[in-house]
Amino acid sequence: MTKSQFLQSLDTELKSRCLPDAGEILEEYEQHFSFKLAEGYAEQEIARKLGSPFEIAAQFGSQSPKREAPGGRSAIIAGLCLASVPTAGFFLLLAGWEIIVACFSLVSLAVAACLLGGISPWGLIPAMPGGIAAVYGISMAALSVLSAAGCVYFTALFSQLVLACVRCFKNAASTGPHLPPLPVVPRFSPKTKRVLRRTALLSLCVFAAFIVLGMALSMMESGSLGFWHAWGWFESGI
Amino acid sequence: MNTQYKKGVLELCVLSLLQKGDRYGYEISERLSETIDIADGTVYPILRKLKSDGLVTTYLQEESGGPPRKYYSLTQEGLETYKNDRAEYLDFARAVKGLLEDEEK
Repeated sequence: MTKSQFLQSLDTELKSRCLPDAGEILEEYEQHFSFKLAEGYAEQEIARKLGSPFEIAAQFGSQSPKREAPGGRSAIIAGLCLASVPTAGFFLLLAGWEIIVACFSLVSLAVAACLLGGISPWGLIPAMPGGIAAVYGISMAALSVLSAAGCVYFTALFSQLVLACVRCFKNAASTGPHLPPLPVVPRFSPKTKRVLRRTALLSLCVFAAFIVLGMALSMMESGSLGFWHAWGWFESGI
Repeated sequence: MNTQYKKGVLELCVLSLLQKGDRYGYEISERLSETIDIADGTVYPILRKLKSDGLVTTYLQEESGGPPRKYYSLTQEGLETYKNDRAEYLDFARAVKGLLEDEEK
């Protein structure tokens, strides 16, 4: 091992142990090399006599945890336990929202199927001409797709948030080297991202276009702006 | 010889060298490896530990034709620790020596 190889490898080992004064330590070994070189030793021999960089770094590393304040760690753990209560609440809320979106998607799909198939279970679907029902059915199907895409996104966001939160807690509690924090925004592959965005945009457009078209057709068909009165939608129950 | 076993004694040896006067890291490393068979790299972690324990302090001194050298100097606490540990070690070594030599007879 040459001088630069030795110092490079020692630098890596020291940094992986999160030693605060790695530069100062390296300087000491650099000086050791210059003294030995001046005495006429070869770089390889000096490095060999110093020992392996891994073992040297280990000897520095074993001393650092001792200097930590004894109460520090338990205080951090207690703080984390306290912080986990509102965090858990937030995650519960987010999970609830996800379930609502998923249910909304399923219900929209069921309504779309009823409208397109001309079925009215328990008389829930009001009476209207078949063509208009199909237009409404398509808009409801688009709404179902839109909310399904939303559900996929929220699920990814939820799991990413949980992972990032766990990583953050772990880092705060650990005394060893810290892992890099995770991003809170879900990481989709470019293809998935593209498909998801296109699906959401297309379904939104279809929903808006067909709901407006359906209402316009209803008004023309019934000859009244308030077509629901003309067709007696809300009077049947009374 | 077992490295872990040596390490405890090496701290005492470093203190002993510094008790005679301030020295820079390389000097200490050389003096120790002359008498005891250790890897040259072992001395610097010991110096750092002694410093973080408050037994030694460091200062930089300009040298003609070279970078400034980091000198190590014994603190009052270091001196007291040295005297105490030295007496303890000599007692211990004497006892061990007596025991081991007794067995050989």
